[in-house]
Amino acid sequence: MAKWAMVIDLDKCVGCQACSLACKSENNVPFGSPDEQRRRLDIFWHKVIAASRGEYPNVNIEIIPMPCMHCEHPSCVPVCPAKATYRREDGIVMQNFRRCIGCKYCMVACPYGARSFNYREQEEEEYQRPDLPPDLGLDTKAYIGPWPYPHRTHGVVEKCTFCFHHIDQGLKQGKRIGIDVVPACVEACPTVARAFGDLDDPRSNVSQLLASRNSLKLREEFGTEPKVIYLPR
Amino acid sequence: MELTYTAIEGGSKRYYYALAALAAVALAGLVGFSISYVEGHRVFGSSNVIPWGLPIVVAIYLIGLSAGSLILSSLTYVFGQERYKPIARMAVFLAIVLIFGAMIAIAVDLGRPEKAWRLFMFFYLNNMTSMFALNGILYGGYFVISLVYLGSILANKAKLIKPIGILAVCWAALVHMGTGAIFGFIATREIFYSPIKPLEFLSAAMVSGLALLILAVFFTLKVTGRSISNEIIFSLRRLLTILIIFLVILVLVDKLTHLYSPNRDATVFLLTGRYSPLFWVGQVGLGYIVPLIILLNPKTNKNIRWIMIAAASVVIGIFFERLALVIPGLAYPLQYYPGDIQGVWGQTGSFPIMPAEVILSVGMFAFLGVLYFLGLKFMDLLPSSTESKPAHGSAEVEPAPGGQGVD
Repeated sequence: MAKWAMVIDLDKCVGCQACSLACKSENNVPFGSPDEQRRRLDIFWHKVIAASRGEYPNVNIEIIPMPCMHCEHPSCVPVCPAKATYRREDGIVMQNFRRCIGCKYCMVACPYGARSFNYREQEEEEYQRPDLPPDLGLDTKAYIGPWPYPHRTHGVVEKCTFCFHHIDQGLKQGKRIGIDVVPACVEACPTVARAFGDLDDPRSNVSQLLASRNSLKLREEFGTEPKVIYLPR
Repeated sequence: MELTYTAIEGGSKRYYYALAALAAVALAGLVGFSISYVEGHRVFGSSNVIPWGLPIVVAIYLIGLSAGSLILSSLTYVFGQERYKPIARMAVFLAIVLIFGAMIAIAVDLGRPEKAWRLFMFFYLNNMTSMFALNGILYGGYFVISLVYLGSILANKAKLIKPIGILAVCWAALVHMGTGAIFGFIATREIFYSPIKPLEFLSAAMVSGLALLILAVFFTLKVTGRSISNEIIFSLRRLLTILIIFLVILVLVDKLTHLYSPNRDATVFLLTGRYSPLFWVGQVGLGYIVPLIILLNPKTNKNIRWIMIAAASVVIGIFFERLALVIPGLAYPLQYYPGDIQGVWGQTGSFPIMPAEVILSVGMFAFLGVLYFLGLKFMDLLPSSTESKPAHGSAEVEPAPGGQGVD
């Protein structure tokens, strides 16, 4: 089984936010109103933070794109009471809207702020994904997983999925994951700062990138072992 | 002296007025909930920075009051302290009402309250490593056990009462320690993360439960024209003083440990940041200092009125203790990366006071008041007023003023 990971080269990142936009349009994540943004009610599956150190004129700002880290030992999975958050065998941490009861415990437990709560009924509920089979529901044997969500309802927690619909479909079609098929944010990056691939495969682009340079993970002190790995500037 | 219990007659106009007023407020709370259910949680003050708001605060507060109240009933039924017997039934009944309210509060806080039943599909649909799922077992069991406990007390099954009482008290302690574990096990939030959180919660539960019991007993017995010996209040006062001191020690140890470097920023934020008044004025001031001054001062601690003020101050202060845990604990921004995180991602969370949320929370308390009043009418909870009046003298029933003693 593959172990999907993303490598982000901070040296190449220019902070253009193309990844955030690509994520929003690919996954149909709603845009918030200015009022919602001020109150932090809007949904972000992907964010770009800027961390500054020092005072002018000796100041250094680092731009860090942050999708969900898809940790090896995620802190959100053990706290979920409803089995709505789970880790797939290929290491992707998933959120099932149908099981989610909206207790928000995972948002409290996540050290990366990767999760957003859906605070209002969205105008556009349908996911326009005609290329995927219809969702059949939990009670049928033909249950195919939480995608595509037939309705986006308020009151559940959402998060980045590493665009697993691309990966699953690509695997079925025999495409090369990481080269032909990548998550939307990787595809959109104009400076090729992002790479996606299989950590277990020594010939994959992520493994080779990690071997080439020093790397860092965010908040390693929690022992979550994130699978979004950064190459420092 | 043989002690008998009786229900209040509950036929007076004032009883019905109070009941109607509380029911109206509870109905307003229901409206608030309906709005939040239709509109989504944006009508609440919570946000993606502070995901938990007032309903969770109310829930853990009510669980605390309930557990504390039930534990104190053990003084009579487990440890055989006969002098507390006049108030023991009320303690158990109060515990049941309050845990019911707490379960409602938790359901109301869920984004999808219609899926709350999933919390009780133990081991089947639940992930049992979650403290929420474990607490589902604890709360559900607690509710059932305390119902059986009250039933056996009302039916005077002397053989049943003691074993069930022991079970109920141990379970109540577990319930509130489990609630503390919801917070204490979360390593991400530095203010929450503490091994003594369960113990701190239990101790706060006993303090607030006892204070509420003192208030409820005193006002209920007073307005229903029953006599209560000051001796009971005075001995409960001594217990309250000891429990508050114990709680202060636990909180002090917790905060001092968190203040020790490194990793002290979140606690410094709690003590000096924008939410520090919740801690200093609410929790420390109202919860600890004011009641301790009153209860330790020999001039005031012999005066029933002052003791009631102290108890009310404790009940309010412990509410602020919950608030000062949840809100600042979540508001402190997560440090994704060393340095100052610019823009919205590094901002301290804000928690606006939203009308729907406040109405909902107040309505929940009012609903518990309704339940309490109805319980007084339909169950034999209060000691008969044998000394001063004949049994039918309780017809001149008056409600507790302002709901202070009942919510």
